[in-house]
Amino acid sequence: MPSIHLDNVSLVYRVRHKLSFRPADRRLSPPGGVIGGRGTKRFVTALDGVSLDLKAGDRLGLAGPNGAGKTTLLKVIYGVYEPSGGVVKIDGRVDALFNITLGFRGEATGRRNVELRGLINGWSKEEIAERMPEIIEFSELGEFIDMPLKAYSQGMAARLAFSVATSFEPEILVMDEWIGAGDKSFQDKAASRMNALAEKAGIMILASHNPTLLKRTCNKILTLEKGKIKSLEPTASTD
Amino acid sequence: MLKWLWAAFADLREGIAFRRAWMALAGEDITDQHRRTALGPIWLLINYLAFVGTFIAIFGYARGAGFSAYVALGFFVWMYLSEVINQSISLFVREENFIKGTRLPLSVYVFRLTMQSLIRAGYALIGLLGLLFILGTPITMAWMWSLIGILLIVAITPAAITVLAVAGAFFPDLQFVVGNVIRLGLFLTPIFWYPAEGAIRGHFYFWNPFTYFLEIVRVPITDGVLPLHAFYVCGLIGAISWLLALWSLGRFRRQIIFVL
Repeated sequence: MPSIHLDNVSLVYRVRHKLSFRPADRRLSPPGGVIGGRGTKRFVTALDGVSLDLKAGDRLGLAGPNGAGKTTLLKVIYGVYEPSGGVVKIDGRVDALFNITLGFRGEATGRRNVELRGLINGWSKEEIAERMPEIIEFSELGEFIDMPLKAYSQGMAARLAFSVATSFEPEILVMDEWIGAGDKSFQDKAASRMNALAEKAGIMILASHNPTLLKRTCNKILTLEKGKIKSLEPTASTD
Repeated sequence: MLKWLWAAFADLREGIAFRRAWMALAGEDITDQHRRTALGPIWLLINYLAFVGTFIAIFGYARGAGFSAYVALGFFVWMYLSEVINQSISLFVREENFIKGTRLPLSVYVFRLTMQSLIRAGYALIGLLGLLFILGTPITMAWMWSLIGILLIVAITPAAITVLAVAGAFFPDLQFVVGNVIRLGLFLTPIFWYPAEGAIRGHFYFWNPFTYFLEIVRVPITDGVLPLHAFYVCGLIGAISWLLALWSLGRFRRQIIFVL
């Protein structure tokens, strides 16, 4: 059974400055995180004391303004960032839908791109071969699958990326915004695939700025503000 | 205490498990660099032949086939070394999107660059063998030492890439330092000249670490003997490089994402 346990997780990183003779700019106050330190020793607190327990069946929505730490939290759970403090304990394989066109190559054919993407995801040769027909079928690219990607329209490339990225059985699924692709008919198909994925996943975490979406798909909503948990509430419609 | 060592081994082990990924990516990289060209990667062969061929035609003619083979071998190794060094210093910066978007171990990028460099060197190697044949260089059993020399260089490559890539991520200025070193290295390394007692270049021959990497591949073919001393030096440099590589990988692999 998948589970996620975060205890007092924090993420602080130093922002390095260039060597410069110019007087330091002290007006700096962008959104997001908390900036500490002075001069060349500035650091950003992106997450601060985040504790969280999720068990199988949980659908967590992450809300909060830009720079609240939503993506950072997702990436800590996914394992891209190592937290600077606290405990992260995750049971189960984590799959992520972040940048679904990452690593796509214009010169390679659609089929080759699926292979490469699969290899990057750590799929075995057999897994790639097994999923290939389904991916091609879902993307509706037909004979275009053996054309170089640069010959695709943006929508076609997006459909392929979507088809590859969602071709797995997630145990724990983390997403930065709900993804979709293509024209109207494909969007509907993509939406039902996303719903199916979210349902199949043992645990799903979705960061989004769309409150309606979060209410519809999640049973808990975590609101972050400046790296801290502001509130963690069940959605009204639960059960 | 030795936590970094285990972390480094874990990273390498995971990287090796992804071997099909970095092999495929390296192959794609080479093809991509020559996209839309008719000759494709054959250009890698032409690049090498054009440079060495011109040099031999202008400077080597009067000095005989021995000198020409010396230059052809020396430049072959130098081209590989300088390319690896140049590419590795900015490796993690170039891979920023992948590093920030996936969980791939850093060694995947290291092995990918190693593979790329080996493919490039493979094309140059064809040119080198062709030149040696034309020059009538005698094939002896000592060539085996050259082969071992090449394998030693290949074995050290991932370590050197790791050290330089980690350093380059933390100190971006190194990119330009290294660029200068490589440019000067072309003259300060015995590629086109023989060591001479007393002359200033004798010192450069002795103190320049690149010398020994050239020698382990070159001497067995040009002189037909085993350059034992050069092998020792390279082995030592290799051991130090791997230690540094394991340390920098294990110690800093989690910080790199924050400095890119």
